[in-house]
Amino acid sequence: MAASLRLLVRRLARLSHRSITSAAANVSWRSGCCLGPSSSRCLSDAAEDRSTHFGFETVSEAEKAKRVYKVFENVAQKYDIMNDAMSLGVHRLWKDILLHAMHPQPGARLLDVAGGTGDISFRFLDYVNYQQERQKRRATGSSQSLSWQDISDKYPEEDRPQESRAVVCDINKEMLKVGKQRADSMGIISGVSWVVGDAEELPFDDDQFDIYTIAFGIRNVTHINQALLEAFRVLKPGGRFMCLEFSKVTNPVLASLYDAYSFQVIPVLGEVIAGDWKSYQYLVESIRKFPDQEEFKGMIEDAGFCCVQYFNFTGGVVALHSGFKL
Amino acid sequence: MLKNVLSRLVRETVRVHRHVSAAPSIQTLTGCRVSVRSFAEVKDEVQPPFDSSLLEVLVCPLSKKPLRYDANTNELINEELGIAYPIVDGIPNMIPQEARLLQKDTQTPSTPSE
Repeated sequence: MAASLRLLVRRLARLSHRSITSAAANVSWRSGCCLGPSSSRCLSDAAEDRSTHFGFETVSEAEKAKRVYKVFENVAQKYDIMNDAMSLGVHRLWKDILLHAMHPQPGARLLDVAGGTGDISFRFLDYVNYQQERQKRRATGSSQSLSWQDISDKYPEEDRPQESRAVVCDINKEMLKVGKQRADSMGIISGVSWVVGDAEELPFDDDQFDIYTIAFGIRNVTHINQALLEAFRVLKPGGRFMCLEFSKVTNPVLASLYDAYSFQVIPVLGEVIAGDWKSYQYLVESIRKFPDQEEFKGMIEDAGFCCVQYFNFTGGVVALHSGFKL
Repeated sequence: MLKNVLSRLVRETVRVHRHVSAAPSIQTLTGCRVSVRSFAEVKDEVQPPFDSSLLEVLVCPLSKKPLRYDANTNELINEELGIAYPIVDGIPNMIPQEARLLQKDTQTPSTPSE
């Protein structure tokens, strides 16, 4: 039994190895030659001269931004369906766990960067509304001995200062359009605002938000450190930075299964459902290029955040990084 | 025969209810409905109203100074730098590269000093 299992694992590893070695070979010689030019460049050079990765390709930084924009422009309409298909619906659980870890209270202000279709923001609003109702119920329950007048007087006082709001910021107009349509169809009229903005240059003043989230978006940002610095800037002191992102799977068996699934199944799904093989090829490649849990934790600490920790979900497929601005 | 008709009616309504309660399908169904609605909005030539509460949080990404909302051109204006950010479909576009340089013949005499 163990022998046949080992055979199966070995065959799977060979399968994924075949697709990965060709890609890995590209990575090794490309990363070698792009290290040279980037280290010799100084600050003031144009973005066209500095090179970075776009999936397993090497491109200039300006080009990366453009190509990432195109990817999401193409996939915007089918984005939510593809998420469900690729993760078999598990992405909903990941986002729910993010909300529970966040535990926002009524009156909190959320900035959802790379929020696109609004998954996190809608969950945020549901959560705070539920919390608000719970608080109201508790308040009226405890004040049963008061007169009716006192109870009804309490209500308007509670509602006004507890205005929670979510701002969805994304660099891509198409994704925001889809998100706004979803909000309209769900009947959400207030509480969510939509802004087109660059995560590296946020159009918000300092010390504005209680919570900053970026779910499955930061690996697409050209300068991750810049985005982290901006996150630090716009958060209030005591604010929380939370980042959900695909990360490194530690278990080798799971890793080879995951790689096989990523490179064999996901682009095919992309072609069948969204009619776009290349975009989904980029998406799975970009996951491999993103730093692992510890390295990303170091980057967040460098940006100034304290008490940085990460939680692995699904064996490390997804990691939730959290830090505080203190 | 009446029983057959009634049972078919019930089945149809149950099916509709099931469709309504199933969340994923709602998005695709109401997606088409929403586009019809927005068609009607576009007919009036009125953009979906810009959420002015956003003005409290929005600043120019370059200078981090507050912006002025211009209802005529539906833009957010940074007078200091002389640029205007467009608002499309009620969503302000705060990407600096997409901002419009204000012409020198507007009321603000200060020239943009970049």
